[in-house]
Amino acid sequence: MTERAGREQPLTVALVGNPNTGKSTLFTALAGIPTRIGNYPGVTVEEKVGRFTHRGRPIDLVDLPGTYSLRAQSPDEKVVSDVLAGTMAGLPRPDCIVVVVDATNLARNLFLASQMLELGRPTVVALTLSDVATDRGIGIDSDGLARRLGCPVVPVVAPARIGIDSLRDRILAAAESAAPAAPDLASHLSAVSGSRPAAARDAIARYAWIDTVVADAVRRSGPPRRLLADRIDSILTHRLWGTLAFALVMLALFTSIFRLAAPAMDLISAGVDSAAAWAESILPEGPLRSLLVNGVLAGVGGVVVFVPQIALLFLFVAALEGCGYLARAAFLMDRLLAGVGLSGKSFIPLLSSFACAIPGIMAARTIENRRDRLLTILVAPLMSCSARLPVYLLFCGAFVPDVACGLSWLRLPAVVLAALYALGVVVAAAVAFGLSRTLFRGPPQPFVMELPGWRWPQPAVVLERVREAAGSFLKNAGTLILAMSVVIWALGTYPKPVLPDAPALSDAERQGEALRQSFLGRAGRLIEPAVRPLGWDWRLGCAALASFPAREVVLGTLGVIYNLGDVDPGAEEGTTLLVRRLKAATWDGTDRKVFTLPVALSLMVFFALCAQCASTLVIIGKETGSWIWPVVTFTYMTTLAWLAAFVVYQVGTWLLL
Amino acid sequence: MPNLDHVEVGETTRIVDVPGDDPVSLRLLEMGLTPGVTVAVVAAAPLGDPLELELRGYRLSIRRREAALVMVAT
Repeated sequence: MTERAGREQPLTVALVGNPNTGKSTLFTALAGIPTRIGNYPGVTVEEKVGRFTHRGRPIDLVDLPGTYSLRAQSPDEKVVSDVLAGTMAGLPRPDCIVVVVDATNLARNLFLASQMLELGRPTVVALTLSDVATDRGIGIDSDGLARRLGCPVVPVVAPARIGIDSLRDRILAAAESAAPAAPDLASHLSAVSGSRPAAARDAIARYAWIDTVVADAVRRSGPPRRLLADRIDSILTHRLWGTLAFALVMLALFTSIFRLAAPAMDLISAGVDSAAAWAESILPEGPLRSLLVNGVLAGVGGVVVFVPQIALLFLFVAALEGCGYLARAAFLMDRLLAGVGLSGKSFIPLLSSFACAIPGIMAARTIENRRDRLLTILVAPLMSCSARLPVYLLFCGAFVPDVACGLSWLRLPAVVLAALYALGVVVAAAVAFGLSRTLFRGPPQPFVMELPGWRWPQPAVVLERVREAAGSFLKNAGTLILAMSVVIWALGTYPKPVLPDAPALSDAERQGEALRQSFLGRAGRLIEPAVRPLGWDWRLGCAALASFPAREVVLGTLGVIYNLGDVDPGAEEGTTLLVRRLKAATWDGTDRKVFTLPVALSLMVFFALCAQCASTLVIIGKETGSWIWPVVTFTYMTTLAWLAAFVVYQVGTWLLL
Repeated sequence: MPNLDHVEVGETTRIVDVPGDDPVSLRLLEMGLTPGVTVAVVAAAPLGDPLELELRGYRLSIRRREAALVMVAT
């Protein structure tokens, strides 16, 4: 064939297999770090290609998504069948297919393998986890299996790199030889009633054929042995102990992304601050310095600061996935989440979103079901993230009276704080429930999920997941977030303020005036009629508007707009100063106070529900592969936030007057 | 004939058929729940659903609603 004429022409080899078969470990063992990661055109299915050279021949290894069948039901399965058929744009038809078959779960893995044998391409079976199978008393005669399948079978122990070179040899040899014959299902098909649909007949006949293969190739030594790993399972899915263990694991996961990431995030902030100080010291005051310090550096800092949380969360998720716990966690939580139209797999993404929605939304990659994944992504930003906490703390502390709620130690500010967290959860549940019965209505979503055997996570695979998540965030989302922060900077800086000639103007007053005269400030005045019903004056409207790109800037903006200069919310005196100034603020031209309890509550409720985070919207766009979903998220969250703030202010005012 | 969702936790039974032609029934067949296979209901999640099954040497979790699609021997 001409395609194999040139010796330099790389061979294209497809790696297919069921999920949880050690496919990723085998990919790393064969090809190392992938040379190309992206999405297949038009779908959010990950494309991963690695290049290695064996005996002078370059080989492109294409890692296909884990799948149980080739029926092309889901987007993942469609990608697998398109790539194997050679109809995927940008990828040549594979010269050889490597099917990963888990030796501990031979029958079910042979289902996909037997479908591969029907494609008429040279095929090699990589028999993984054969060491575990031997421990369990399952002996597999790989030569016998090869004879029955009509293709080479290579036992491998990928973490120990056993069998890897022999697998590479077999791939080279197979690519030069004829394809194996398709399995003969005819006699088994005739045994199944003809009235069944073709796919059902095929599945039943295929398993009947597989049963004969397994009977020939598997030698069980005695009764199946119960390993320690199997006993762990009965504890970790136990009603009481399983729930307790789950709570502990989730607590550890949550505290680590909340607390362990903090030092690294502080370090990044400090680094950006000193870079800004350095830039300020060498550049003359002017638009360039402002762009560099307040636009670009602030933007870079705002992107990089997410990396520690993303890395830590993916370290956890990849380790939990690698050892098999992720599926158990989904099993334990499914009933709770199924009630509102989500599934057990939504739990970790939603929990992580309490720290930050960005890693949470990225963690939704572990949800195979498209509909569940999208629904999880859409409600994840409703979880109160760590950026909302300073806002809650400031307003609860300053404007919610510190009185006891029934019990002497239960203070009202703490109750309000807890209520704000609960509000996010309740609204998310309601939104998920509503969407799953309207926009996302469809056939019932199956929850047919394998609970993989317990095993040690492979450090190489875990680290690769972390590297990949952080890398794709920086590359895909980072650039967009950076561009966005420059745009926001421009809106808050231009047009240049026309300052009155009053020489008595302080720096802080100058900054305040500049913001008021900028596009952002003008927009704040423009939207005043919209925020009036929430009890806000135009300055608050302006501050809320300025915090749409990132809600954590609201305290700083409030400081600037109330002529306080830049307030560092972390610094004690800055915060008290801000509180004092906010408490003194009055409506323009009157002595009526702006901040009352209903106003503070309406502001906090608005912040709890509003999509004030451009980075989250960018990530939603990237992860769903469509710009419709960030628009939907932004619209529904802003609408809900306004309505809830309106109700809180109006009811609050009515109750208190 | 009883369905798999009525089998008590800890019991073992044999699959008679998954007669439906809907996508979920087909997926169950593809996962190896074919006629004649022995299946054990190993556990139920803390809130009673989903179920943990053992069949063909591996563990599978399905919701009771899906288990109701599986006909089993008495």
